[in-house]
Amino acid sequence: MERHFSCTACGKCCYGLLPLTIDDALAHADKFPLVVIWTPVRQGGRSFRVTADLGITIELKKRKLAAVRIAPTAYIPPTFSCPELTDEGLCAIHAAKPQRCRTMPFSAYRDEKDQDDLMIPRSGWVCDTSDEAPVVYRDKRIIGREDFAGEREQLVRDAAILKPYAEWLLDSVPSLRMELQKLAMKPGGGRVVVAFSTLIPRLPKVDIYAFAEKQLPVMQDFAQRTARDPALADYHRRYVDCAAEWEQITRRRP
Amino acid sequence: MRSRFAAYVHGDLDHIENTHAKEVRDSFNRSAAESTAKSVEWVNLEIRSTADGGENDDTGTVEFAARFKKDGELQVHHERSSFRREEGRWVYVDGQMNPKGEPLRVEKVGRNEPCPCGSGKKYKKCCGA
Repeated sequence: MERHFSCTACGKCCYGLLPLTIDDALAHADKFPLVVIWTPVRQGGRSFRVTADLGITIELKKRKLAAVRIAPTAYIPPTFSCPELTDEGLCAIHAAKPQRCRTMPFSAYRDEKDQDDLMIPRSGWVCDTSDEAPVVYRDKRIIGREDFAGEREQLVRDAAILKPYAEWLLDSVPSLRMELQKLAMKPGGGRVVVAFSTLIPRLPKVDIYAFAEKQLPVMQDFAQRTARDPALADYHRRYVDCAAEWEQITRRRP
Repeated sequence: MRSRFAAYVHGDLDHIENTHAKEVRDSFNRSAAESTAKSVEWVNLEIRSTADGGENDDTGTVEFAARFKKDGELQVHHERSSFRREEGRWVYVDGQMNPKGEPLRVEKVGRNEPCPCGSGKKYKKCCGA
């Protein structure tokens, strides 16, 4: 089984949430509104194993487990394009773009042998999957796997920080575990959005004041751009809350 | 324990850092700790229980409640801290904390929405399957 794929730079996948490595999140803190998103994956779900390896597991009823992915994420509504997508529909930071974007259409959040459907474009996307496009996936192996391997390597490195962070926050905030358990049992699933400020104490080299100065205008900008649309009320509230928190932190600067 | 509380009250982060065990020193974010300490008005420290930590011990734990005011509201930081004797000095190793009301929000993911894992697939066909 072979899959052909070539990116035509249509820009259609540059919309909505963008999970980031910790380094990518820090590098783009002046452009992306950052949060940490916790997503439970049920036992038996296709990404359970890899999510458990890169994240944590929590116990559910009847001795079941759920894996939880903990991803620093650019919190962008699905109808909003990436702030780095230019009016011409091209990436303004192509040379320095996040690892998640580089690895597309593959995903290091999944096993290498479980990538097959990722090369089928969503409706409206203009990926070239014709026979003229190069073969990029054969017998469940990625051909030219540098970006996939690079993303996976970084996710493994991040896991060394995110796992103890997750255990610490679960101990500190009992409601977090309950919410994750509830979501894992629900047929529709869901995610928990946690302020990025909870992760900063686990990143020794990050100056929280400098970081807050970068995030504050970004959150304010997104709050303003989401203020009028009732469909984006959840996003709006989150931006307002985050802006308020970063503002308080900047005021404490010595 | 008490000296570290006093250091937080006075913003003496040097003392906080100097009383960390080796493994804590590497992961300690001084600016974040300072920012948190400054965000509150410290009220008092209550030691609730202790275990070991005596003259003949090399480890000990302290359960405490540190009260503080934030935005005019009285709150409690409740923690069980572990300490270890390193070269004759007691140093902080780690702690289990109680709720501080960290901001978190639960969201539904629409079945047809893009998956939060960033694969570009619909949630129902990816991590929601």
